[in-house]
Amino acid sequence: MIEFQSVSKKYTDSANTLALADVSLNIAKGELVYLAGPSGAGKSTLMKMVAAIERPSSGRVIVNGQDVGRIRKAGIPFLRRNLGLIFQNQRLLNDRHILANVMLPLIVTGAHKAQAEQRARAALDKVGLEGRALALPLELSGGEQQRVAIARAIVNRPQIILADEPTANLDRAAADKVIDALHAFHSVGVTCVISTHDEQILDSAARVIRLEHGHLTGGGA
Amino acid sequence: MNIWFRQHRFALGAALSHVRKAPGSFLFNVLVVAVALALPFAGVTLLDNVRPLSEELSVDPEISLFLKPDTSRDQAQALAPQLQQILHGSRAKVNFVPREQALANLKEKSGLTDVIETLGDNPLPDSYVMKLEGFTTRTDAGRVDGIAEQMRALPGVDAVQVDSAWVKRLAALLGVLRLVLLLLALTLGVVVIAVVFNTIRLQVLTQREEIAVSKLLGATDNFIHRPFYYTGALLGLCAGAVALGAVSLALRPLNTAIAEFARLYASEFQLSPLAPLGMAALLAISAGLGLVGAMLSVQRHLARLK
Repeated sequence: MIEFQSVSKKYTDSANTLALADVSLNIAKGELVYLAGPSGAGKSTLMKMVAAIERPSSGRVIVNGQDVGRIRKAGIPFLRRNLGLIFQNQRLLNDRHILANVMLPLIVTGAHKAQAEQRARAALDKVGLEGRALALPLELSGGEQQRVAIARAIVNRPQIILADEPTANLDRAAADKVIDALHAFHSVGVTCVISTHDEQILDSAARVIRLEHGHLTGGGA
Repeated sequence: MNIWFRQHRFALGAALSHVRKAPGSFLFNVLVVAVALALPFAGVTLLDNVRPLSEELSVDPEISLFLKPDTSRDQAQALAPQLQQILHGSRAKVNFVPREQALANLKEKSGLTDVIETLGDNPLPDSYVMKLEGFTTRTDAGRVDGIAEQMRALPGVDAVQVDSAWVKRLAALLGVLRLVLLLLALTLGVVVIAVVFNTIRLQVLTQREEIAVSKLLGATDNFIHRPFYYTGALLGLCAGAVALGAVSLALRPLNTAIAEFARLYASEFQLSPLAPLGMAALLAISAGLGLVGAMLSVQRHLARLK
């Protein structure tokens, strides 16, 4: 489902940062994989490459059989529609209620508004926030906002969920709720890639891919 | 097709929603663009009103030949074959105007019936009016002068008058006015595009996060661009409507002044607003200018956000 073949990424900044160095790994369909490593290890870069936010400097990134580095610019939105992206800082739109936030991935595909609303409410229900559908994001706690982000990520029924530090800045209880929600989607066959610092979460993980200074140090097979 | 309509409806809704969020700013921009549009719109309205007048006046040269008062009717009518001979090879309509008809025409057109009645005898001579067709170049003008010269030499001819010059001057003046209006419209069109360009630039900057998130969620460039296009077109359309309204309102006091002036020439000339089709065309042009400004702005500023 996701394959990295000798992927390197060098940013053309003043420091010529090498974010990933010759990384090769496979993630099978339906797998739940954690990405671990300190800040600057390359976890976010790896995820951005799966979503075609960044392109590899060398090597190939294959997602659903498509070489991400070779997808035309116009094809990128269609790749992303099969992905559910969750960010550390949620990136919710604060000027609209959470129902509208969750409807957005459907609206951009041209879905009917009523149908989008129905599915968004169902997604909010799955993360336990159906009752807050008309609240603004800033009226919610950090954990609730992250669950809204999860609802937004799954509303399109993606094949892959990419969650970049979804539990950062959350207390234990809120972090557990977020992880439980992601596990629930994995249990119905969704491939999940979750990056985290949280060793407590990693302790119970079936597979952990470890990165350090852009190098793969474990779990790539 | 349904998706296409839905996405356009969504884009229009998004554009209207942005207007609702900042109505004051939108209104201000509409007024700025309307001021820029009002001048060319007023020019178009003026030309549209003057055009029928200029079309009524032929630019083909007309020669009026006046006979001496003592020329008999038989002598006058006998002149026709000689005139045809001089005009040989030219397309021309030759009309004999008896003095009685000339007086009747004068009474009808001048509105000075009472004054003419006091004259007693008819002071007007018999005349010929010859309308030459296809004489449009400067060389043709020389030929007309030659024809007039030959006619002056005919027996019984008192005066020959070539009366196309002022009509040509009017046509040339209207041509210059049209050109000035075109240049003015082009200049102010650029102003409109610049205003819309800047408005959309600010909107793109305000909505940076929404644009970035939408892209991450799978929005195509078209999906992101469309609301801005609608905003630009809407801005142009509203400004066009305001400009047309302002020009129509300005016609009232203008017409009061014009009526007094026209009365001196026994005319009832009045400026009228453009026909609905003309108004629709100007509104479409305004919306088009707004759209162009939005497209240029979106292409430039969204490219920078990437």
